[in-house]
Amino acid sequence: MNPEDIRYHKEHTWAKLSGNRVTVGITDYAQESLGDIVYIDAPELEMDVEAGTELTQIESTKATSPVISPVSGTIIEFNEELTESPEIINEDPYGKGWIAVIEVEDDSEYNDLMDVTEYERYLEEEVKLK
Amino acid sequence: MRVAILGAGPGGYVAAIRASQLGAEVTVIEENEVGGTCLNKGCIPTKTLIASAELLHRARNAKDFGLEFNGTIAPNIQKILERKDRVVSTQVKGIRSLFKSWGIRCLDGKGFIISPKRIRVTLKDGSIKEVETDRIIIATGSRPANIPTFPFDGVNILSSDDALMLDKIPASILIIGAGVIGCEFAFIFKEFGSDVTMVEMLPHAVSTEDEEISMLLERELKKKKIKLLTNIRVEGVDLKDGIVSARLSDGKIIEAEKVLVSIGRAINSDNIGIEDLGVKKGSKGEILVDRSMRTNIEGIYAIGDVVGGLMLAHLASREGIVAAENAMGSRSEINYDVVPSTIFTSPEIASVGLRERDAIDRDIKIKIGRFQFRALGKAHAMGEIVGLIKLIADKETGRLLGAHIIGPHASDLIHETALAVENGLTAKEIARTIHAHPTLSEGIMEAAEDLHGYAIHAPKK
Repeated sequence: MNPEDIRYHKEHTWAKLSGNRVTVGITDYAQESLGDIVYIDAPELEMDVEAGTELTQIESTKATSPVISPVSGTIIEFNEELTESPEIINEDPYGKGWIAVIEVEDDSEYNDLMDVTEYERYLEEEVKLK
Repeated sequence: MRVAILGAGPGGYVAAIRASQLGAEVTVIEENEVGGTCLNKGCIPTKTLIASAELLHRARNAKDFGLEFNGTIAPNIQKILERKDRVVSTQVKGIRSLFKSWGIRCLDGKGFIISPKRIRVTLKDGSIKEVETDRIIIATGSRPANIPTFPFDGVNILSSDDALMLDKIPASILIIGAGVIGCEFAFIFKEFGSDVTMVEMLPHAVSTEDEEISMLLERELKKKKIKLLTNIRVEGVDLKDGIVSARLSDGKIIEAEKVLVSIGRAINSDNIGIEDLGVKKGSKGEILVDRSMRTNIEGIYAIGDVVGGLMLAHLASREGIVAAENAMGSRSEINYDVVPSTIFTSPEIASVGLRERDAIDRDIKIKIGRFQFRALGKAHAMGEIVGLIKLIADKETGRLLGAHIIGPHASDLIHETALAVENGLTAKEIARTIHAHPTLSEGIMEAAEDLHGYAIHAPKK
């Protein structure tokens, strides 16, 4: 189930706001379509990232794909556990499988993201029909 | 016709055989050992070490393939070097027997060109022999570049020549220069158990390659826990109690047991007598030649590393063939546009022709096709799924202009694309050629299809 207390980006990443920090990960749909995840690149800390651009890259047995950042800001933390055990993303995409923490200026971009109802409708209507 | 060749590396020995095939009476003069750097200190010895390192890696991961080892597996560097020496000596004998079969005279000594018609040879026993000739081909090669800031001492500060003779695997090694040689050694030493750090002054490892390929290699370095520092220079090194500390341009200091300096190669064009004859050289000492490998002096040709540019054994060999044919009176020219190159990292890298940035620089409109090895059944069966095939074609005509591969057996896969670039084949022509299943070559076909958006084993974009 997709959690209700987080927001979603159309490139299948999620964001969770806490103060001026946004925790980012990939959605259950994304991990399901990627298949077994074998590696994730550690993004460079203190680097700025724009919403809608590549935060880092993820490798599964099927493909190498970019992880698109849902918000703009400075990357301040990476989930180091993923270096040794990237499969955590498959097992718990919304929990232990979080990818990075981004420090944001304000919450406007966050508020523009889809909520769970909108994301699920988006999956139904646009993605799965593609 | 008499042809004398200075140097019996992959340029010189190939030129000797071709000249002899065309009817020349050939003398080859070699100061060290036939086969040159390539066979004795370069391509072949490093590939034997890589073969040991790869087997070690596979053995360590044998359980992934359902194999159980009872006991331990560890590299024995003496035995590994013995195997390397056996391989090299077999190949050396092979060249010497080819010389014999073609009636080529090989003088083991140092040659000095007195005139376009005469070479003085100081033989190994100190005696002097003069060789009369009609044509001269200079193929004296190159050597590891020695930098005054960190001069080779053969013990702690090593050239690639020294690194092939270490009798003990160092606990830690700092590699200055993340080019082809540096990266190949990084993977070897890491697998054998050294802690490896590379320092590169340019923004990327293997910066001669397409940037996408460099970035993929950098990720593989990261996975192997080989440290890579880019955009950083080594200002100097200090040696104390058998430990080298390197001072970096960002103020940091790195300590290591050994330092491998792999920042390029110096040209062997000194002390062979050409200055007095007026043979023109460039700023790095490279002998200047035209596309027929002729120097500015009638009857004197030069080939291989000594003419600068790309220092590749197979390019030297082709230049040797061109020089020999011209020396024997036919007209032959070298084509520098289609020269495949290979890097034996893990995974391998190979490329030919135009890089994406060349197309941008030259304002050529291109289309790019990509395919990932992990979409191939064969790659999964082999357990080697990392890698990318990137094809670059002319946007209008679809003709293949370049190919860049990182992945298993890239060095073998590149030649299909080289043939296509050399002969102006289009991506469609590659795509409609049936490729056997299950092979890695299917990836070339898929990348060619992808160029027009029709790769079968790739999701809809």
